Amino acid sequence: MATSSETLVTTAGNAQADSDYMHYVEGVGHVPRDIYKHVLSDPLGDLPRYSIHIVIQHFLIFITFITLAATGLPLHFGDLFWAPIILAPLGGPDSARIIHRISAGIMIVAALYHFITIAIGTYSKLKKHKFNLLHSQIPTLKDLNDIKHDIRYFLGKEQYRPKMGKFMYKQKLHYLAIIWGTFVMIVAGSTLLFPEAMAKFWPNPEFAQDLARLMHADEAIMASAVVVFWHWSNVHLVPGRFPLQWTFLTGRITREHQIEEHFLEYIDKLKDDPKEKEYLISVLKEKGYKTEGGEV
Amino acid sequence: MKHINHVRITLYFSLLFFVAVAAFATSAYAADKENCLMCHKYRFLGRIDEHGKKRNYNVDENIFNNTVHRNVPCRDCHTQIANLPHDPITEEVNCGNECHIKPPFSTENFSHKKIIQIYNKSVHGIKADDPEDLKAAKPYCKYCHLNPIFTKVEEERVASSTLRRCLNCHEEKGVSQAYKHITHRLRHKTSRSRQEIVKLCSYNCHENTALMARFNVSQESLESVETYKRSIHGKAVALGSEETADCVSCHATSSIHDVYKKDEMMSTVNERNLKRTCEQCHRDVSDEFIKIDVHSGITHDEKPFLHFLEVMLGFVLYGTIFSLLGLAVLETIGRKKDGIKWQIREGTTWRGISKRGF
Repeated sequence: MATSSETLVTTAGNAQADSDYMHYVEGVGHVPRDIYKHVLSDPLGDLPRYSIHIVIQHFLIFITFITLAATGLPLHFGDLFWAPIILAPLGGPDSARIIHRISAGIMIVAALYHFITIAIGTYSKLKKHKFNLLHSQIPTLKDLNDIKHDIRYFLGKEQYRPKMGKFMYKQKLHYLAIIWGTFVMIVAGSTLLFPEAMAKFWPNPEFAQDLARLMHADEAIMASAVVVFWHWSNVHLVPGRFPLQWTFLTGRITREHQIEEHFLEYIDKLKDDPKEKEYLISVLKEKGYKTEGGEV
Repeated sequence: MKHINHVRITLYFSLLFFVAVAAFATSAYAADKENCLMCHKYRFLGRIDEHGKKRNYNVDENIFNNTVHRNVPCRDCHTQIANLPHDPITEEVNCGNECHIKPPFSTENFSHKKIIQIYNKSVHGIKADDPEDLKAAKPYCKYCHLNPIFTKVEEERVASSTLRRCLNCHEEKGVSQAYKHITHRLRHKTSRSRQEIVKLCSYNCHENTALMARFNVSQESLESVETYKRSIHGKAVALGSEETADCVSCHATSSIHDVYKKDEMMSTVNERNLKRTCEQCHRDVSDEFIKIDVHSGITHDEKPFLHFLEVMLGFVLYGTIFSLLGLAVLETIGRKKDGIKWQIREGTTWRGISKRGF
């Protein structure tokens, strides 16, 4: 009895793994999960990922973020040796803080621009009944499972990477952190910049000012550290992205990257992309997989 | 021959240059009516005192003639000297002396008496009931008006075209000297830079917590230098800001010497006067605004919640960075094992062979 139940479990496990591994797409056939190892990619990007608005917003945030960090952090770490060195070409602390405020203004404009873009985009998608929670930045329980699954894959305990939508768990985490961070920075920053007006606004001005001093600096260090150590390594250093992921300029993602980390998005977009379908069928045929239709 | 000629011409011109410089350099005026410089002009005029310390009594004419005291005869301050050659000096100079200089539009001799009166009333003035060690620790005139600073004041001169208008009525000497005296005082409360003020107040005194603790000062006052340096005022000033508050910006009026303890009515940082003090820089100062802690130190006893938050934020920061970095490293190792290479070449990064054993 014991042996038969064990066999049952293993078979069930294999079947599960297989149905996970092969993903059926109408008009193409069964697509193996690791097909990204066999497709061709252009480093500048093959498939659309970001609209021109998102590219502009990223550029604005990129410029203002670096300027804000370069003018803000030396003031916070004023007693360290590098602070005056960075501030000197900016004209010292008095002009650095004016640059800081102008950059902050531009960053707020970029944030509003982004908010409007997302609001209009989501509204039009909802209207056309095309909104898909899977491809949104809204975190779901699936993301937690994806993290677990992905860590198991990295450790060699899972055969393939999880199937993820347009935004994987890392991107959702980062995006939510940016929304929270921007909110904290704007509120704390305006408390520091307009102490007179904000003293009337907050119920306990002494506490609010102390909290703003603490949060503005902490959030700045946190954001800078995350961007420098994590974001930059994700887009510059990790295998497949080295030396530079061009998406932030071209708005396009490489094919192998999209299939690997945004498999469900790739499959979803495949339906409306006969050219990509044709290409995929040719790759599958070359590798000896069964395909449906498609004359190549 | 040609080469030698060049050297000669160079020598000739440099000689001419030095003569010209020397001629201008010695054109300063002296107030030495009693001819003290007859002896004190010698650079190595000095002795070894009773404690074995070398003392130098040289007065450099060129430096002295550019100081604020250039028109004051020596014996107006060094009053102990009655005959020449004089006996050893045992008394310190009294800055409250009258000197034989009459300020313009005044019939009285000039004296620092008035500011000394203000100073003596302030917290730094020596009081009769002060303990002996406190008396000894309190700063006196020369403590802040120390030589390297009071001899050489960086003066912002007005444009010569503006000065020329004064020459319609006044003598040139008077005009340039009056400007030397006045212009640097017009810019801020003091002619010193904000960095110098902070250094004067903290160095040796307010920064020395062991010394300050002996005189029964409040905890707030004990930490004042540290909390100031952590505030935005302190950080900006330390980096060279000229727009932010230094010590005397808030703790004294324009007479600078009237520093009082916070709970005294005369103090600029007394609750009654705080609004007016902040208004020197801040607009729309309200009752709520003056509640903001300027010397804010976040400690466990004073601000337990903020202290807790600060500690927790530290944990969150390091926790986030290290877990994210860990994830990136894990991801890289895992994918490398699955056969990925660093760079896209010939259309793919997956050029390796998976070593994962599936």
